[in-house]
Amino acid sequence: MSKIKMKRTGFVLDMTPLVDIAFLLLTFFMFTAKFKSEAESEKKFQIKRPKAAADTSKLPDKDLAIIQIAIDSANQGDTSYYFSMTNTEDRKAVYSKVEGLTAEQREKNLVKVSLNLLDALILQSRLQNLKTKYAIDADKRIRYSWVNNLTNVMRKNKANVFNYVTDKRQGNREKQ
Amino acid sequence: MGGGGGSLGPQPKAKRGKNSKRKKKKRVGFVLDMTPLVDIAFLLLTFFMFTTTMVTPQIMEMKLPQADEPVEVIEDDLFSILIRKDDSVFYYRGILENTQLQPVTLKALKTVCIEENMRPGKENKTITALKSDTSASFGRLVRVLDILNEAEMDIVKKMSGQKRERKFTLAPVDPKELEAMKDL
Repeated sequence: MSKIKMKRTGFVLDMTPLVDIAFLLLTFFMFTAKFKSEAESEKKFQIKRPKAAADTSKLPDKDLAIIQIAIDSANQGDTSYYFSMTNTEDRKAVYSKVEGLTAEQREKNLVKVSLNLLDALILQSRLQNLKTKYAIDADKRIRYSWVNNLTNVMRKNKANVFNYVTDKRQGNREKQ
Repeated sequence: MGGGGGSLGPQPKAKRGKNSKRKKKKRVGFVLDMTPLVDIAFLLLTFFMFTTTMVTPQIMEMKLPQADEPVEVIEDDLFSILIRKDDSVFYYRGILENTQLQPVTLKALKTVCIEENMRPGKENKTITALKSDTSASFGRLVRVLDILNEAEMDIVKKMSGQKRERKFTLAPVDPKELEAMKDL
């Protein structure tokens, strides 16, 4: 009658909660992941954004025209303006109307432009869609004159409201 | 089914002797080997965790007054903040002929700004003008703007209940101001 005691080999661990959490995290990261936009994959520069106090304001992604001022990583010290728009339809219309863009540039989103061309682009984008918002995404190391010239051009075209793109400052605010 | 189970599932029990009195257990449900599924899930999880960048850019909104509309300003209402070539900051009130430029550290700037805006009777009248030398860095300008925004929050708090109208503009530096800043 006596039962033979089985020798225990290994053990069984219930993995269900672990797998649950793993899938939860997986779905979270999958849905929050944002892939590089068209403009980002074209660019050959890195912008060191100035830091500002944490804020809830986010860059709008509808009808946005971004003017980037960056130091070219290949040519040190060579600063230039780059223009791009998020609204594809508006972009096509604007790029086709502005003179001075090459055929190759018209196909792209991110274009390297001069200040004069920027003037035409801003004017045209405002004519195309008055709701267009403007963002200036400039490297913190550049001289202010670059931003100043751009601001003057924007004011000339009555684009008085615009945004500076910044990064969140983490931790101690006295650290730059 | 059956023998293919991994280490996780309950193993089918080994048959014992012929005269075992145990009845054959009726099989309910089935065992599915989850190991490859979990492997892939973790692989994807680590991939997405490492490729996600948590810092998203934020924005600082600027509203500038119309460029071609001259505004009449009372001298005493004007509060100017200047940024010199080497990124140091100065301020003065009114017009330059009647006053002195004061050097100010970034730490003290917030207090100064609040004081200037909270002068009795001038709460909503003070116009802050930020003037940056074109050779100063853009980073410094944003830093000063950030301090002004922080000061603004305090001002709104202090003026509890009253309506606050912020008056702010970016302006070019005057040659006279450049001259005055040079020797400080």
